[in-house]
Amino acid sequence: MSDTQFDLIVIGAGPGGYVAAIRAAQLGLKTAIVEEQHLGGICLNWGCIPTKALLSGAALAQQFKHSQQFGFSLGAIDFDIQQLVRHSRQVSEQLVQGIGQLLKKNQVTVFNASAQFIAKERLELTDAKGQKQQISAPHIIVATGARAANLAHVPVDGQHVWSYKEALVPEQLPKSLLVIGSGAIGSEFASLYQDLGCQVTLVDIAKQILPSEDIEVAKYVQKQFEQHGMTVLTEAAVQNIEIDKGQVHCHVETATGVQTITVEKVLSAIGVQPNTQNLGLETLGIEFEHGFIKVDPWCKTNVVGVYAIGDVAGAPCLAHKASHEAILCVEKIAGLTHVHALDRSQIPGCIFTHPQVASIGLSEQKAKAAGFTINVGKFPLQANGKALALGETTGFVKTIFNQETGELLGAHMVGHEVTEHIQGFAIAKYLEATDESLAQVIFPHPTLSEAMHESVLSAMQRAIHI
Amino acid sequence: MSEIKTLEIPKWGLSMEEGTIAQWLIQAGEQFSKGQEICEIETTKIVNVLEAPFDSTLRKIIANNGDTLVVGGIIAICADAQVSDAEIDAFAQSLAGAPIVNESKAVEVVTEKLTATQPETKTQAVPKQNRTEQVSKAVAQNGYVIPAALQGYQHVEDIFATPHALKLAEKHQVNLALVSGSGREGRISVQDIQTAVQAAGGSWPDIRQQPSGKVAKSKADDSQVLATPVARRLAKQWGINLHDCRASGSRGRICKEDVEAVYQRENPAPTQNSADVTLTEAAKVTTIAMNGMRKAIASRLQTAKRNAPHFRLTVNLNVDAIQGLRQQINATVPQVKLSINDMLIKAAAAALIKVPQVNVQFDEENQQILQFDQADISVAVAIENGLITPIIKAANTKSLAQISNDMRDLATRAKTGKLAPDEFQGGSFSISNLGMLGVQQFDAIINPPQGAILALGAAEKRAIVENESIVIRQMVTATLSCDHRVIDGALGAQFLAAFKQFVENPALILV
Repeated sequence: MSDTQFDLIVIGAGPGGYVAAIRAAQLGLKTAIVEEQHLGGICLNWGCIPTKALLSGAALAQQFKHSQQFGFSLGAIDFDIQQLVRHSRQVSEQLVQGIGQLLKKNQVTVFNASAQFIAKERLELTDAKGQKQQISAPHIIVATGARAANLAHVPVDGQHVWSYKEALVPEQLPKSLLVIGSGAIGSEFASLYQDLGCQVTLVDIAKQILPSEDIEVAKYVQKQFEQHGMTVLTEAAVQNIEIDKGQVHCHVETATGVQTITVEKVLSAIGVQPNTQNLGLETLGIEFEHGFIKVDPWCKTNVVGVYAIGDVAGAPCLAHKASHEAILCVEKIAGLTHVHALDRSQIPGCIFTHPQVASIGLSEQKAKAAGFTINVGKFPLQANGKALALGETTGFVKTIFNQETGELLGAHMVGHEVTEHIQGFAIAKYLEATDESLAQVIFPHPTLSEAMHESVLSAMQRAIHI
Repeated sequence: MSEIKTLEIPKWGLSMEEGTIAQWLIQAGEQFSKGQEICEIETTKIVNVLEAPFDSTLRKIIANNGDTLVVGGIIAICADAQVSDAEIDAFAQSLAGAPIVNESKAVEVVTEKLTATQPETKTQAVPKQNRTEQVSKAVAQNGYVIPAALQGYQHVEDIFATPHALKLAEKHQVNLALVSGSGREGRISVQDIQTAVQAAGGSWPDIRQQPSGKVAKSKADDSQVLATPVARRLAKQWGINLHDCRASGSRGRICKEDVEAVYQRENPAPTQNSADVTLTEAAKVTTIAMNGMRKAIASRLQTAKRNAPHFRLTVNLNVDAIQGLRQQINATVPQVKLSINDMLIKAAAAALIKVPQVNVQFDEENQQILQFDQADISVAVAIENGLITPIIKAANTKSLAQISNDMRDLATRAKTGKLAPDEFQGGSFSISNLGMLGVQQFDAIINPPQGAILALGAAEKRAIVENESIVIRQMVTATLSCDHRVIDGALGAQFLAAFKQFVENPALILV
């Protein structure tokens, strides 16, 4: 076989694409991956990972703030944001190198180029120098991800109006920042900058911040943000902005009228849109749905031999959803038995704000709307011994069970490191655990996870510590 | 003896000649039911699972992990619990090539032995108190009470007894010279020792009753039984029916512990060693699988080349029309992407139906030709370290789209090793296409027991003469290799003419 003919090609090397390529190679397929920019995609380079590196700096800032509680007097603290940014970039670089090694180890051919379908099964690659070459495979997986969506009247200029990319590599800490959009990305940056000492205003057009989360969670987090000094405006829209002498004047329409908020920087984080352009998808006759590539439960498009996974194939735009689709798509192609289609109710969501938010399954409102008779359990971290010892008593665990079957319908957590704990409920949900079976599980003491247990017990009207 | 059955290496397809035991999935002594997975057998192309053809108990494994046997070779002996170990051993020995004695001689020997033991039996019939005394002197051990008269094990070369009987006799100190054998050639079984001991007033636990301690295994479908995922998986692994487990878990579910309890009941002393052995064996199997395919290709094609007198016929095909049709379909139907190979498969299928004498397998053993009424076309697919020929079944009845999508799926699964045996074994005709590698023309070796193979080269523009002028046409060179024992030159030519007609007039393959 020539080196331009493969069994499977993946376009895009994010957490969907590189996982698909490695799995395909493991299964014995001659595999190639095409990436225009950096291996690892947005997730490793400009998203999940580098933001977590910055957030650990913000968390440290918070600990310094409370150090006296633990007997430390620190005096004046110097903060060099550029060093924090360097740390963040180093983490990304290290992981990107790791992806390169993994691909090499699995004998995946990597093309640093953009890709465009010129026919079914055939791609034309164009590298940075403009050199073109064609490669082909009977199976081509589109994993090109998504990019930030923009408001026409608040154009990102990279200087005064940032996208997430500029927000990740600030030269200095702005004194004030207005964030448009309170989804995971907007809220994380708002929380991060607030904790580092910037005056943040968070604006969202929706009734609540974190629009995809349970309303109780959203209200609680909003209150916490406000306690940290953040201004939160819901049901508010930025009408237009004026840039003058290094300041941005934002005219924000709220229920009480138009306010003008003047800040140093604006971050536009209204959401993402799929990267479907310049791929030649239209020439193949690929079908779309709400702008995303339309796929069947096995990530197959309407065109033979073309598949789509991750953000480009529809919401939720999460790295772990992309990786999961990558595996099931490739295993289905390879003819493995017992491949299961994605069950969207099993996808956990994590938001790395301060405090953190993690959830899986239905919110209380959605469970009710779906017609379930539910039992709701709730347990505050204030009543958890470990949380008190850590000085991290903010937050709670909320669980929602189907009253008839005892099935866990949803779990919602706010607080310290809850993103590390939600997998417990994810496993429980996957194994169709019931309230009774979770009640039987022995949770270790003293841990924050005991709050998960107590929340389940609370749903059964038998919580011990509250 | 009639209850003793054997398990043999099955024949999974025409090309299978031998099989290697990859792994036993049940152990000696385990009961099994029809359809249960017994062991994994590796052929030259795949590893497949042997399912039990009947209900029985696995008594003795003949072929261990890694052993290679020809098709029909006996791998294990099975019999119900009533059949004694002695009988199984005897049967195994007869398989191992022990001379089979005629029945009358066996009877003679038995009679002789019986006579020889008569006086000893009489010794037992002494006055009562004497007998009691003798019994009181008996050696008692775990329910074995050996009367003094029978005591005194001596290792004598010419005593003919089963290994199990010898072992027990040594353990319980039974004088085998005083026991008459009821087996072939007077061989002494455990049963015979029991009879003699009991006749002499001793006690010997009834071996027939031992299996009764085991609970009969359920055979019913247990997929609906409530169980935790771990329990279900363990049960499947150990061949335990969930109906046999008690449900001690929450909400009436069977949990891990319940399955383990059944396993321990059925396997009182699981040995650590056997697990280790299985692990090492598994690694060995992987290596053999690689060599197996190489070996199969070598031996099969060597045989074909040596035994089948090949002759070859070559034609040039004008593929302008078929390419035009292909491009038109590909440009207008998103759900299909035809390759030229897909279309040539279809054309070959049509030609095979038109000239069915080429659509044959040669049954060399019975000197007959098997002619098929549908074109099952084996298509050579290169895979890592070898090649495999997945089959487009009944290609004559399939649409171009079906052939194309079948081919895409089969070729991918060929590479990931996920083809089922019936997807690549058999076939009535083969096609090998090296055109995508730029090969212009080549000869292929027949894929036995088929009668012919078509070798296709690349589609390329050539200058050819048409109506006394030179024109540029897209051409493919096709070479048919035939086994002259079953296909003659004229017949091969007739097939190629039909094939050429279908390729150059593709409208004919659409209707």
